[in-house]
Amino acid sequence: MREAREVFFVDGVRTPFGKAGPKGQFWRTRADDMAVKAVRELLRRNPEIPPERIGDVVLAATAQVGDQGLTLGRDVALLAGIPDTVPGFAVDRMCAGALTAITAAAGEIAFGAADVALAGGVEHMGHHPMGDDVDFNPRFVSERLIDESAAVMGRTAENLHDRFPAITRERADAFALASQQRAAAAWANGVMRETVVPMAVFTDDGWRVAERDEFLRADTSLDGLAALKPAFRAGGRVTAGNSAGLTDGATAAFLAAEDTIGELGLAPKLRLVAYAYAGVEPHLMGIGPVPATKRVLEQAGIGLDDIDLFELNEPFAAQVLTWCDELGVAADDSRLNPYGGAIACGHPLAATGVRLVAQLAYGLRERGGKYGLTALCIGMGMGAAILWENVQ
Amino acid sequence: MADTVFKLNRAGSVALVTIDNGEDYRTPTTLGRSAFESAVAVIDELERGDWTAAVFTGKPFVFCVGADIDEFTKVRSPEEALEGTRAGHGLFARIRALPFPTVAAINGACLGGGLELALHCDARTIAADVRHVGFPEVALSIIPGWGGTQLLPRLVGPEAAAKVIVLNPLRQNKLLTATEAVELGIADELIAPVEFVDDSLAYARSLSKSERPDPDWSELDTVMRKARSRVEDAVHGATRAPYVALDLIAGARDWPLEEGYAAEEQAMAELMTAPQAQASAYAFTVVERRSKRPPNLPDAKPRLVQKIGIVGAGLMATQLATLFLKRLEVPVVLRDIDQSRVDDALESIRGEVKPFLATIVDGGTGWEQFSGCDLVLEAVFEELDVKREVLAEVRTVAPDAILATNTSSLSVEEMGADVGLHFFNPVAMMPLVEIARTSRTTDEQLATAWDVVKKLRKRGVLVADAPGFVVNRLLTRMTTVLMEAIESGNTVDEVDEAILSLGMPMAPSVLREMVGPAVAQHVLETMHQSWPDRFPLTPAPGERRTLEQIREEALAAVADETQHLLAEGVVDDPADVDACLILGAGWPLFLGGAVTGYGKIPV
Repeated sequence: MREAREVFFVDGVRTPFGKAGPKGQFWRTRADDMAVKAVRELLRRNPEIPPERIGDVVLAATAQVGDQGLTLGRDVALLAGIPDTVPGFAVDRMCAGALTAITAAAGEIAFGAADVALAGGVEHMGHHPMGDDVDFNPRFVSERLIDESAAVMGRTAENLHDRFPAITRERADAFALASQQRAAAAWANGVMRETVVPMAVFTDDGWRVAERDEFLRADTSLDGLAALKPAFRAGGRVTAGNSAGLTDGATAAFLAAEDTIGELGLAPKLRLVAYAYAGVEPHLMGIGPVPATKRVLEQAGIGLDDIDLFELNEPFAAQVLTWCDELGVAADDSRLNPYGGAIACGHPLAATGVRLVAQLAYGLRERGGKYGLTALCIGMGMGAAILWENVQ
Repeated sequence: MADTVFKLNRAGSVALVTIDNGEDYRTPTTLGRSAFESAVAVIDELERGDWTAAVFTGKPFVFCVGADIDEFTKVRSPEEALEGTRAGHGLFARIRALPFPTVAAINGACLGGGLELALHCDARTIAADVRHVGFPEVALSIIPGWGGTQLLPRLVGPEAAAKVIVLNPLRQNKLLTATEAVELGIADELIAPVEFVDDSLAYARSLSKSERPDPDWSELDTVMRKARSRVEDAVHGATRAPYVALDLIAGARDWPLEEGYAAEEQAMAELMTAPQAQASAYAFTVVERRSKRPPNLPDAKPRLVQKIGIVGAGLMATQLATLFLKRLEVPVVLRDIDQSRVDDALESIRGEVKPFLATIVDGGTGWEQFSGCDLVLEAVFEELDVKREVLAEVRTVAPDAILATNTSSLSVEEMGADVGLHFFNPVAMMPLVEIARTSRTTDEQLATAWDVVKKLRKRGVLVADAPGFVVNRLLTRMTTVLMEAIESGNTVDEVDEAILSLGMPMAPSVLREMVGPAVAQHVLETMHQSWPDRFPLTPAPGERRTLEQIREEALAAVADETQHLLAEGVVDDPADVDACLILGAGWPLFLGGAVTGYGKIPV
């Protein structure tokens, strides 16, 4: 029997995240150009990796049409100036697109098909509103295969509030406030400088440099959050303040095999310990990370207490709180999203995964610790979790 | 024309200024009056702020293409010209005087005033895909008057400056690519387009304010002598602009910049209101408008042309086959009575095209090969019976094909062709195609002819099926005047000199040799049949003329014949006539065409 090779996370970088729509900083920038920016910055930061050594370029996008079409990994590789001998492809697992790109690339490395792989994602939700080109099969509703609320992510978040009465609007707003405060602090320290690359963008006001996430609201208060109207249901609990806005953003990361790290003299940040995807009821998609986390812990044979840092996506505060309650982690645990989360920085669906991993790597280096977990919930009822070991 | 706005954003401590008219790349950004107002506001900000550097760039694909040509035709007095030039100097001098490093990030087309703005910066980056850098002013019979003639020689020396400012505009307005701009020293840093603005910001941050060394002026006299002789060959004194531009370049050696600016202002005051500049501006817009769809083109859907036949394998047929093959990339077949002529033609064509295209061109002596053609163009000897015969043969084997003729003077309808496609020699160089419609030309045939001409990257002008169409009719009419002068005792040299001194590209005697005296005579005979009075076969002798008289008579004859063309409806728009002369006969822009005659421009 042959042995699988160990896979390491070498580095990850992202563009700033922008508000989707005509007022957002990326409105007149192409999605693939954003991915190109992230990829080129990654190449620049890792000059030890010769571009021709990249075995595959795996890029995720939820909407694979228009400026996110044309088998994105290949398209972006060519646009980024990577030699044409390097192949690429596109993946989609909605919000877990980039994590899936990472695990797909990791599979290639573990199997020996590639020594180094580039994984990432892009989502320009301004150009591609979620579900815009989707033709929903009527059988889902007529045969009650899923609850129709499953198609609208905000409604699935309301469903979590319904299912778990302990998750209140007040707790959700408090969590959102902490996310904003932690993100504000993070921009003041080094994590964003290390993981975000500024990008010149053409706008109605001329060229400017996109360098900050547009959803940051350092001045948010509990009163301000409480005053917001529910966005998905009259009398509901999910608001623009306690959920992530529609976002434009791109990310890219390098993964490499253990022996290639030695050969090229790379300084890896994390070792991929285990990963798991799980399916749940589609109208409760936010619960997905719970079974995914449990399965990944089982695979690794460790407990939750062994983990020193959690980077969870925050499409909705309710979703993170569900995970916290189900796994017994306090919502204000300092190990959880220390640099804030998607509520403060935005969530460009298929791009987010790499942001989580890059921030996890930074956090484990700064704070010390052995294990870290990245997890996301996924539309249509799934969850993803990757367990990492700090090797810095 | 959309208002151009200078837009200022902060990139850390660097000022990032975008010159943007809010339109897409098809409407390039110009520097009109409104641009100046917003530029002044931005420069105020730059002078006030604590910036460490400034980067000027353009909207995607365009840096800035300079002054708005529509505004310059409105300049009516030397004082206005002086004022406009001075305003540019005032503005750009303030950019030059900024206390921190300034960089022009040339991201796209950078012409005229746009390039002058760039030259007032401390340094220039340029995106590697830029293909349009230059000073077209001299081609319009003015000069780059916003510091171009002073700053370019100071930067790159007199030889390169003379090339860019004077000689290139006289060579069909040749523009520079990014690589050439860097090689000449106009731009400092060639940057990949992919992250051009980011990289230019980084370049600006690394730049320090420093003086550039003086260029090498030691060869100034030789450079000027050579350049003047080339200008003389091109325009024969008919427009002052290239001569003035050379003087200004030479002056840059000794003048302080202020004095150079003043010299430019005086020059612009003189040149801008001169008939040559006004005529050029008019002619330029006339030619530009011809690239768009004409209003009298029927709305029919053009036929998809997937196989082309050429009847004939002579010089013209060979050139036509090569052009069709290169641009349309569809199978082309040639036919001639002589197989060895076909073989020679095929060899020549195959030597000019990509390997694959060489495999889809064929030819022979039979007619059957035209079967399946969508378009067949005849280019055989200029004899009505011959043409009628070959077209009938083609019609038999290719009944559905559109039959076109490259005739220069015969009746399209009488020979049995569907449409005329009159190309000019040399085909690769001359942009004009006269598209002649007959009373039987269908909308689809005309739309297809227009579409094909466009795909060949030529400029089509729709004309009626009348002998000689526009260009040959006007040139032949002009020639009758010249022949009369010769018959009256003027020498061939005198006639040549008279025409060359108008700024014509070629002496009439040389042109006649190139066309072939037999062909020219044949065209004259065709014209004579229709209009014996205006196209006599034997010129009537009279008084020997002065050169001035020859010039006036030649232009008057062209103007008169133009009135006949319009009265007969050969073209609908008088400007079509001017476009034909510029694009088909190589008339210089500063003559303004033929409609109203030299220097009298319709307002």
